[in-house]
Amino acid sequence: MLVHGFMQRALVGGLVVAVVCAVFSFFVNVRRLAFAGEGIAHAAFGGVAIGILAGINTLVAAAVFCVLVAVGIGWLSRKGKIHEDTVIGILFSASMALGVVLVSLAHAYNVDLMSYLFGSILALDWSDVVVLAVVGVLAVAFVALFFKELLFTVFDEETATASGIPVRFAYYGLLIAIALVIVVSIKLIGIILVSALLVVPGAAGMQFARNYRGVMVASLVCAVTAVVVGLVLSYSYDLASGASIVLVLVGLFLLALAFSPRRSYVRRVFHSEN
Amino acid sequence: MSRQCRVAEYFDGSAGERGPLIELDHVNVSMSGYPVLDDITFTLGERTFLGVVGPNGAGKTTLLRVMLGLIAPDNGTVRVMGMGPRELKHELHHIGYMPQTVLFDPTFPVSVFDVVMMGRSCCIGVLRFPGRADRAAVQDGIELVGLKGLEKRPIGELSGGQQKRAFLARALCRETRILFLDEPTSGLDLPAQEQFMDLLTRLKEEMGLSVIFVSHDVQTLARYSDDMICINHTMHLHGRPSDVVGSDRLKEAYRCEFDFLVGGGEHTGGR
Repeated sequence: MLVHGFMQRALVGGLVVAVVCAVFSFFVNVRRLAFAGEGIAHAAFGGVAIGILAGINTLVAAAVFCVLVAVGIGWLSRKGKIHEDTVIGILFSASMALGVVLVSLAHAYNVDLMSYLFGSILALDWSDVVVLAVVGVLAVAFVALFFKELLFTVFDEETATASGIPVRFAYYGLLIAIALVIVVSIKLIGIILVSALLVVPGAAGMQFARNYRGVMVASLVCAVTAVVVGLVLSYSYDLASGASIVLVLVGLFLLALAFSPRRSYVRRVFHSEN
Repeated sequence: MSRQCRVAEYFDGSAGERGPLIELDHVNVSMSGYPVLDDITFTLGERTFLGVVGPNGAGKTTLLRVMLGLIAPDNGTVRVMGMGPRELKHELHHIGYMPQTVLFDPTFPVSVFDVVMMGRSCCIGVLRFPGRADRAAVQDGIELVGLKGLEKRPIGELSGGQQKRAFLARALCRETRILFLDEPTSGLDLPAQEQFMDLLTRLKEEMGLSVIFVSHDVQTLARYSDDMICINHTMHLHGRPSDVVGSDRLKEAYRCEFDFLVGGGEHTGGR
């Protein structure tokens, strides 16, 4: 399996995606950005379509477009005093609609849209892996360097502001980093499913640990396992890579739920049998 | 280094003649076009426990936020420790603040220690990591408020009173000179309220703090305050608790609110 270049690239890229998404998954869970992740990811479709129509690199177009949407979500919900989920609902459907219109104008249905939407194990070339690694390192560095500011901001923004914490920088930085992470993960996971990697690992981690350090570790283990197992399944059974990764991920989440020390479902089942 | 200096200069007198700790001069604030605070003027000395009372929607929280520099007044000046809001922005580690409600998710995966450590963020500085001194300060803060032994417990598993004390520790574990507390005892039962107030007065004496305490509970606050002000959009009273309680102007302030509500009540100060 590893003799194939595409599989090597998919595994290396996939591991980067797993680590980066796991780190951000913590913030997505505690700051309730699951829908924001979903919205930004779908907005990438609009960006990809602009790229196709304008004849520029689709990833660059998607990155610019997603960052704009992320900042728009932040700006409209904070300044415009509209609920975050309302803003996301509007921007996300608008971007998708724009994408559909542009794609039909460009008569570009022959472009491999399916691989953008659902990800493809064959899609990565080495330059994609390099871009993925660079963005991943930058995004993780952002979290590592500003962790205490990010944590304070997502826990209690009011007190953080009154303590002189740059909350606006932290909030917009988080949204922009999430947008970039989404864009570079799209080729492998796909627009429709990428947000699962930003939601599920952290959610599984929260079942196991009651402290963010533990949540991060559990989230990392979950994401890496899902990506490796998912890619192997994708290779073996010729499945869409994003879909198989997400199914493994959700399977792990269900296991986490069942074995969560907090809920002790499984223990209770055994107890009732005894 | 100059960061610590302004406050140190204020307290050792090297910044020239020392003005009042807090000084508001003809402050006006409006939000979304409605006046919230109108012509607020008062001064406050060091080591004072100031009770700020007023009916719901009187603008008490807004007043706190103006003093903290989070809201810029339309008119008038605000000086805290001799500094305007722009300078104060760099000295916020000398101020402890407890907002009215901390709306956090009870499953938020942070321990009591982690929460109190947040209070050190502004002492540590951006792009720096907590060191031994920070951990010691956090531990001291936790012990001061009587939460020793609960450091590793998730914050969401504490009782309401313990959570309030954790947030007080967070406000104290920096180089705190002034505490701004916005209804910190709301939601606590009476024994827990008394416990909190006793703890607060003890810490105020031990640490030489000044406390600005916002509440709508005039009677309780009168027992602990050195000084009280009563606001309802505008200043109604400023004086000793004994002068404030039972004063006709206090009733007037609260009646104003009533008139306000029956007379249309277009807005309610608040935040």
